[in-house]
This record gives sequence, C-alpha cells and structure tokens, in this order.
Amino acid sequence: MKLMLFAPELLLLLGSLALFFMTTGKVGGKKARSFTLTLAIANIFLCFACLHNEGMLFFDAYKIDFFSQALKICISLGFAIVLLFSTELKGIKDEVRPEYYLFMLMSTIGLIMMVSSVELLSMFIALELSSYSLYLLVPMREDRAGLRMQMESAIKYIMFGVVATGIMLFGMSYLFGLTGTTYFSELIPAMHGLMGNPAAIVAVVMVLGGFLYKLGVFPLHFWVPDVYQGASNETTAFISSVPKIAAVAMLVRILALVTPEGKSLVTLLMVLSVCSMFYGNLVALVQTDIKRMLGFSGIAHAGYVLLGLITLQDSGYATSLYYITGYLLMNLACFLVICQVAQDGENLAIDDLSGLHQRSPLLALTLAVGMFALAGIPPFVGFMGKFMLLTGALKQGYLLLVILAAINTAISIYYYLSVVRVAYCNSPEQRPEVVVGGITKSVSLALVVIIIALGIAPNQIIQIATDVVRTIQ
Amino acid sequence: MNLLTLSNELNTYLVIGAMLFGIGFYGLVQRRTFIGMLISAELILSGASVNFMAFNRFLAPNPTVGQIFTLFIMAIAAAEAAIALSIIIAVYRNYKSVDTEDVADLQG
Repeated sequence: MKLMLFAPELLLLLGSLALFFMTTGKVGGKKARSFTLTLAIANIFLCFACLHNEGMLFFDAYKIDFFSQALKICISLGFAIVLLFSTELKGIKDEVRPEYYLFMLMSTIGLIMMVSSVELLSMFIALELSSYSLYLLVPMREDRAGLRMQMESAIKYIMFGVVATGIMLFGMSYLFGLTGTTYFSELIPAMHGLMGNPAAIVAVVMVLGGFLYKLGVFPLHFWVPDVYQGASNETTAFISSVPKIAAVAMLVRILALVTPEGKSLVTLLMVLSVCSMFYGNLVALVQTDIKRMLGFSGIAHAGYVLLGLITLQDSGYATSLYYITGYLLMNLACFLVICQVAQDGENLAIDDLSGLHQRSPLLALTLAVGMFALAGIPPFVGFMGKFMLLTGALKQGYLLLVILAAINTAISIYYYLSVVRVAYCNSPEQRPEVVVGGITKSVSLALVVIIIALGIAPNQIIQIATDVVRTIQ
Repeated sequence: MNLLTLSNELNTYLVIGAMLFGIGFYGLVQRRTFIGMLISAELILSGASVNFMAFNRFLAPNPTVGQIFTLFIMAIAAAEAAIALSIIIAVYRNYKSVDTEDVADLQG
C-alpha cells in the first residue's frame, strides 16, 4: 500500500501541523517539547517498521529503498537524542519554544525527504525546507544581557547558504541542459556518455557544492565556527550533527553520477579534503570557546569523510556513511555535556569544564569518551571509522593523502585530549556541581555504550552500510 | 552571426545567465551591506532561472520541466528573501547597522 511507504514523513507532517496550531495558542515550551519528543520517538519506531519497504512515489521523484529508510532511522535517532538531552532548553525564551520545536521538526522533515528524493527538483526543495528552518533556529537564542552574536551568526549562515544554493542551482541547470532530464535514474546513464565533457564535470562540482556547504568542507566552511559559537548550545548540537548525515547521503547519490570515471573530480575532492583537515585541525588548536573548537573539528572531520568518497566505490561510500553516523554519536556526546554544564545556556570556555570529574563523574566520562572517539583512539567508533577510511584510500593508491590524514589525526589528538585533561586534572575551584536528570543520564550512558559497541564490532554495521549503498546503483 | 536572429539562439541566453551569475558573485564579494548582498544573491538565482528557461526552450525533450523548475526557484527565492530580511531586521535592532564591517563580533 502506498500510504505505508510514506508513513514516517506523513506522521511528522501531521505532527508539525498540530505543532503549528500549538504555536498559535498559548502553549508553553514544556507541552510543545513533550509533544515533539513523543512524535520523534514514535517516528523512530515507524522508521524501523518501514525499513524494508520499497517503492516509488510522486511520479517517480521519491524513492523508498533500503538506502533512504536506513538513513531515515539515523536522522530520526539524532533528532530524538537532541530532544532528549535538551530538557530545559536554557538558551531559548519560553514563549518562542513551540516555534523552536516546530522549526526543528520541519528541518528534520526536510532531511528525511532529502534522502529519499531521486530527482533534482525534489532534492532541491527538501534541502531548502531543512536549511530555511535551520537558518531560523539560530537567531532564536535569548538575547538577555545584550547577547547579540546569534544575529551575526544567523546572517552569515543564511548569506553563505543562499550562495551555496545558487551555485548548486546553476550546476543543476547545466545538468538539465546536458541531459534534458532531472531524474537520477536517467541522469546516471546519460552522464556516463558525457564524462569527457568539461561542462559535465563543472555541473557536478557545482551541484556537489550545495552539499559540501552543509557538511562544512573547506572553501564553503566560513559559516561553521561562527554559527557554532553564536547559536544556542542545543541548536548547535542539532546543526552540527543531523544535517551532516543527509549531506553525506546526498553526496553519495550525486557521486554515483560520475562513478567510476570521475578522475578529475577525485583530484579536486582530494585537495578539498586535505585543505579541510589542515585548516580545521590547525585553527582548532588555538580555540578557547569549546563550541568554536568543535566547529573547527567538524571541518576537519568533513575532510576525513571525503577520504571515503574519493575512492568512488561502494565500500568507500559505506565507510563514509559509517563514519558520519559515528561522528553524529560522538558529537552528540560532547554536546550533551556542554548543554548540561552550561547553567544558563551560556557559551562555555574550555576552562569552564575544570574538575568536571568531581562535579559530575558521569558527564566527565561521557565527555572523555566523546573526545577520545573524535580524536580517533581505540576502541571507540572514531578510531575504527578513521582506520577503515585510511585503509580504503590506501588500497586505491592514495599514499600521500593517507600520510597527510594520519599527520592530521596526530595534530587533532592534542586539542581533544587537552579538553579531557582540563576535565580530569584541573581542580573545580568555585564551580558548582552539575545536576543531571535521570533521562539525560540514561541517554549519556547509551551514547557511551553505542560509541564503544560500534568501535568494537563494526563489521555488521559496515555490512549494512554496504548493502545500503548498493541499493542506489 | 545575424543580430536579428540573436534572440533565437541558445548561446545568447547562456551568456546572459552566466553574466548574471558572475555579477551576483562579484556583488556578494564587493557589497558592504547585507541588503546589497541579498540583492546579489538574488541575481545568482535568476542566472540559474535564465539557464533553465533557455535549455527548456532550445534543448529539452519535455518543454515543461524547466519552466516548473524556474517557478519553484522563484518561490524559494521569495521565501529566502523573507527570511533573510527578517534576520537583517533582527541584526539592525541589535547592532544599529547592516554594514558587514560593523557586524563582526565573531572572530578568531
């Protein structure tokens, strides 16, 4: 039945409609939160129930397959985790909280629709639905005590975002002109005949640009640190994790257009990857604001993800998806701690984490696991992901690239571990204890367990990821 | 090349589209106010729209796809302008300026 194919999206759409009516009335943030949370958790179960559905919808512009359904689970999980640990939403005024949840939900709907779209126009609309909601989340931070940087972040985010959209649209117009179609199923064979044509390469690069922007890869990274710093802690947790999964998924879909002959494209992506890694890691070394530091680390991680994409092979794409899923979890573990430690939703300097192991041992442990995983230290998921990305690139003969990436991993260890050192070795001085709610405790324990489990036994996940990627060819 | 048939050639429109894109990009780098940057961004979008219409008229097997795409670009551009302008107003309330040089707290 066709309705079952669209069930997760339909649930979220109806939910957002209900939430929209809640925003027009006098509903407080608490009610809106419990409604959204129920919706998000119900959506996870529905996504699992629809995991093996297959079919086409909306004149073949919308494809339900294992690829889209598996990614929908990841996106819904990320959304639910963010909602679970942002219990108090300290950085947002109470009267705008229903709107805040509405935009967060709309953004998730956009991302969920994006991974299913197999046509340029529907992909574009889904991307814009998710982006515009994110643009609006950033300036909603409470401006008490004259805090005004969130406005600057928002304007930078939307301005660069519009340019990235424009570039992507321009590339799409060339794709349309060269092939006369907007469907991926027809674009793939048509593009294979056009690989010698420079216009085709330019078009694909421009379309990739829109998603490289979402991922925060080097020349389109300007927004990352500023938005991370300016947006409230919970918003940053969402922006830094969930959209990146969808971005990688779409990069995989678009790169399928040039597989396996896109040699010139590979060179470009290699350069971008090396630049992202070096830029992100070197600038992160000198940061004092922890969110800004995680922003630069996000740029570096985008560079690592590209290592898997440049192999132009199913196995490489699968490792990239595995890595970005792992990144979602490690990143959320770090942001969970940040959101709890920030008493009034203010920005944290790294020194504010001093003595965290005395103020809250569980949060200190979560932070340590998250940071160790981001640094790529075994047995956590970050290590396994990096290891497989590097061996995958090495098998393709990109020795120099692998050496540069390994050097970068070494650089990054310094700033990740110095955060852990501050949390464990410094004395807390006058800083108060951190009170952690029961749900947050269980979420952080679950994150720790998953980060370790994915790192110890990655085979099954990689197998699933490979199956997932195979379904799009 | 005949000037009179210039309006019936694909290349004319592709050049116009590319020029709009280039002007928009130049404007974005050059403009010092957010409003100016927003106008430049709109030029980039219209460059893409011109391209779509041109390919639609001269090459596409199904001459509705490009038009529909352009309509969607226009709608999206309108939504984007609304969001961008509302954020610009919020910026103005906080900074009393929409100049890029005045709005630069975040650095490092």
